[in-house]
Amino acid sequence: MTEHPSSATVPSNASRRHFVGLAGLTAAAVFGTNRLTGSAQPAVNDFDILNFALNLEYLEAEYYLRAAFGRGLAAADVTGTGTLGQVTGGTRVPFASSAIQQYAYEIAKDEENHVKFLRAAITARGGAPVARPTINLQESFAAAAAAAGLPSGFNPYADEKSFLLGAFIFEDVGVTGYKGAAPLLVNKDILEAAAGLLAVESYHASEIRTVLFARGLTSETQAISDLRDLVDGPDANGLDADLDQGLVLNGNANIVPTDANGLVFSRTTRQVLNIVYLGGTTAGGFFPDGLNGTIR
Amino acid sequence: MTDHRSPASASSLTSPDRRQFVGLAGLAVAGALASAPSRVSAQAPTDSDILNFALNLEYLEAEYYLRAAFGRGLDGADITGTGMLGPVMGGTTVPFATAAIRQYANEIANDEEAHVKFIRAAITSLGGQPVARPTIDLEASFAAAAQAAGLGAGFNPYLNERNFLLGAFIFEDVGVTAYKGAARLLQSKIVLAAAAGLLGTEAYHAGTIRTVLFSQGLISQAKKISDLRDSVDGATDLDQGIVLGGAANIVPTDANGLAFSRDTNQVLSIVYLGGTTSGGFFPDGLNGTIR
Repeated sequence: MTEHPSSATVPSNASRRHFVGLAGLTAAAVFGTNRLTGSAQPAVNDFDILNFALNLEYLEAEYYLRAAFGRGLAAADVTGTGTLGQVTGGTRVPFASSAIQQYAYEIAKDEENHVKFLRAAITARGGAPVARPTINLQESFAAAAAAAGLPSGFNPYADEKSFLLGAFIFEDVGVTGYKGAAPLLVNKDILEAAAGLLAVESYHASEIRTVLFARGLTSETQAISDLRDLVDGPDANGLDADLDQGLVLNGNANIVPTDANGLVFSRTTRQVLNIVYLGGTTAGGFFPDGLNGTIR
Repeated sequence: MTDHRSPASASSLTSPDRRQFVGLAGLAVAGALASAPSRVSAQAPTDSDILNFALNLEYLEAEYYLRAAFGRGLDGADITGTGMLGPVMGGTTVPFATAAIRQYANEIANDEEAHVKFIRAAITSLGGQPVARPTIDLEASFAAAAQAAGLGAGFNPYLNERNFLLGAFIFEDVGVTAYKGAARLLQSKIVLAAAAGLLGTEAYHAGTIRTVLFSQGLISQAKKISDLRDSVDGATDLDQGIVLGGAANIVPTDANGLAFSRDTNQVLSIVYLGGTTSGGFFPDGLNGTIR
């Protein structure tokens, strides 16, 4: 897809758990104030954020539903404002183990429920859900894998192992996206629901990471993590911070990507876009026509 | 232990399908529940009150995992504060059989210790005072919880790897539901962002423990513990085992695919194992205003 960088420039990870501490807390506070008063960038409302999340949940739902059941979202669940797009790629995975197949079923249903829930939550408050944008589950993965230095022609639907690696490419991203959005939400019911989404995405990410670790796929996941770090760009403080971690850190399992305070990371909407566009500015990667909605 | 319910009442709460449809009506109900007065005060808790409540729970988790992983507890400097400083009963290094699970324990222990340090520092930076570590029971509490769940007498989570995983499961997921329930109560956006980070990490931990329990086939044991949590936390059904409808259920969710919320009273009822003001893991109760 567009302008993904080569694997040669992937950064090293000497010590990824830099100490953030209260200095980081204060910096976040300063940024948060700017953000909320609109001095740093145009203010976004809860609908904008929910619709941003809906785009990402469309992606996750389509990925997992196709892998688990060989079908995508129902037509009634993809309509809305903006241009309705097609989904390219994605077939049922020939799972080798019953447990992994069951994990895929469960995650697929959770993601489908997230789509339905977000659409209903937006509608119930007088907003308009965005349509599912064009989603690419084929060239996107191949390009991401190639950029990460994995063998060419990567197809996450080819087998169980590829499915797990494909899931890893955007797991954790949802977690950091929801965490970054939490302070921007105004409505308390929406905030609590978003906390519920954040938690579920964290369970999913952990499940995928635990299985990948148990199977020893540590170098592959490190390469993918490094790719995410490379393309996600500057954080809320304008720093090109290291917000991603593979499955091993300092010689020990690292199932949870955290800062020195044991907290999961935040990503801004721009950082999330940079990842799902695989480095593209307004489109690319998993969303060849860009997202629908105001945050894109 | 104080008045924890019998296993009979736990099993009577078993429901055929725990993923009832909640929808937007449920969202409104959840809102009303969370804003209900706490058992000690009708006043809304401050962010420091909520962080101190969380600190008590992080003390418990840190002491559980640090002892299991490294055979030590929190440093003396990390447990002082307002209220009564209490000892920790029980807890020794677990003789792990597999390297992976030992590493998971190491990681979770380090995360929970970092949470204690972080929350203490955050409270101080808000101008508040961290509470001291209350008395924590990691011995009789687990035995009583396991007995109440129907897992037999004399359960010791430090005995072996399997017991360690089941012991972790007893309070994993609870932290997730507690942080989710507290999110709407927090005033400061900075604290909220931090709490979202804690929520995320606890959910990863719970996901790891549940995935490993499932892969080891400890399904009926996990179900019994889940039913016990459901039994002591009140009338609502906010808990799920690791199998649902005959398939893996790594993520406990409602019909919308969202994690559950628990209010502070529900969380207290679980960590007190049904006690009103103390019991279970906290024989002298929590320190702080929410207790």
